[in-house]
Amino acid sequence: MNIAVLSCIHGNLEALEAVLRDIDQQPVDQIYCLGDLVGYGPYPNEVVTRIHELAIPTCQGCWDEDIVDGLNACECSYPSLLAETRGRLAHEWTNQQVTPETRTFLANLPLTLQQDNLCFVHGSPHSQHEYLLPDTSAFIALERVLATGADTLFCGHTHVPYVRNLENSHLTLKVASPSAHPPANSTTPLPSLKHIINAGSVGEPRHGRPNATYVRYDTDTQDVTLREVEYDYTQTCAAIVDKGLPAIFAWRLSRGLEFAEKADDPTHVCER
Amino acid sequence: MTYWAILSDINGNLSAYKAVLADIKRLRGQVEALYILGDLIGLHPQCEALVQQVRQPPKGDLEPQVCIGWWEEQCFNLYGLGSDPEAKELLNQIGSAGIEQFWQSVSRETVQWLRSLDFGFFELDCLLIHGSTVGCDDMLTPETPPMQLLDRLLRAEANTLFCGRSGLAFQLQIPEGAVTSTVTTLDAPAQTMTQTVRDRQIIGVGSVGREPEKATYTLYSPYTNEVSFRTIRYGTQGKGFGTV
Repeated sequence: MNIAVLSCIHGNLEALEAVLRDIDQQPVDQIYCLGDLVGYGPYPNEVVTRIHELAIPTCQGCWDEDIVDGLNACECSYPSLLAETRGRLAHEWTNQQVTPETRTFLANLPLTLQQDNLCFVHGSPHSQHEYLLPDTSAFIALERVLATGADTLFCGHTHVPYVRNLENSHLTLKVASPSAHPPANSTTPLPSLKHIINAGSVGEPRHGRPNATYVRYDTDTQDVTLREVEYDYTQTCAAIVDKGLPAIFAWRLSRGLEFAEKADDPTHVCER
Repeated sequence: MTYWAILSDINGNLSAYKAVLADIKRLRGQVEALYILGDLIGLHPQCEALVQQVRQPPKGDLEPQVCIGWWEEQCFNLYGLGSDPEAKELLNQIGSAGIEQFWQSVSRETVQWLRSLDFGFFELDCLLIHGSTVGCDDMLTPETPPMQLLDRLLRAEANTLFCGRSGLAFQLQIPEGAVTSTVTTLDAPAQTMTQTVRDRQIIGVGSVGREPEKATYTLYSPYTNEVSFRTIRYGTQGKGFGTV
């Protein structure tokens, strides 16, 4: 079975349509979406309607949550202070635009999806706001996969696609509590191979080019293909400006970059 | 040799706390710092008296450094200051009669003071906290999956994590571990590297007030990394009990 996994569409309908056309050319049996349907882009309602009518199983992203519950996270929602300032502007605009139907749809999205040995989340199994970066500690990355009980964890949120295989892992634990005489020493057998697959971003890529990204995965062979799809992003850029969103979003979409400093602690989990 | 004395789960039990302080005094100045890792208060009539003793220790006694725990968070919820203003978790645990008793045993002034406490402490390479950086309700025990234990250390970038929450006294050491990670991106070929971890540990510091007439706390030497647990029998004078 072949699946396509999309994430972080961010109200960019042109990019979504381009990705759906690309998927039509591929041997894909099922599409999954990892959330962030809205925010930054000019067509939040249209994107939600499209996902809804195609009945694509979707989990809730941090933007979807914030539109439903209001901005209640600390600065960890964004990779930097600069990104937070811009994000707040986009939040206010999106919040004014979304219809009650869109809000209800976003509110009812699950936080995780599970299909056999695959798990789908927006950020991490612990939080929609947590960034699993390619250079996140391999132990932390492995813990996130193990926490799901799955072999392969699909995530988004970073807007940069990657595949990470975690193998040959072991951990020695020595129990030296007062009740353990003599101290027990055990090497924990950890699963031989786990995967994290980041789907990148359909509508707001940050890998250095404006093209939409998503992933294709063969559940039989475990082959992963990172797909990059060209489309006329200038239409979206023009709509961003026309609809009164901050022009910076058009500028960075045209370059495929987040022009902001890096987060101090991307693994921070917001408790609010 | 000098130590940190690390306590948790006093749960408002002033008698138990005094027994621990008396034991620390018997160590004749070897304890240089005193930490209380949350759950200072609890469902106990001595809460207010205990808080007064902690806030104003007798002259010559160590001044404790206190962080919040599960009971403090429940107290904030009860006063509408926490993340669960309906205090559902507390209601489930102690019922409405218990909530009434808890409400009566903690004054508004004490709540204000509790609100000023830290979430945890980072000293040298040690994290001292009630649960973990995930939250006060995060309970670590010897049964917790090893990778989850390591995660709690790595989140805080600590070599040693001291925690309360479970009330258990335990020392779990992670002498070594390794994971090989291969990352492929759109623009770079697969890159493989092996990450290792060495010599980390998680210490459950025991419970001072949870069990009647028996208090357990932890001594730690930051200079030698030595950990020991002390169990005090109190309220049983003349029966041949003492420090174990």
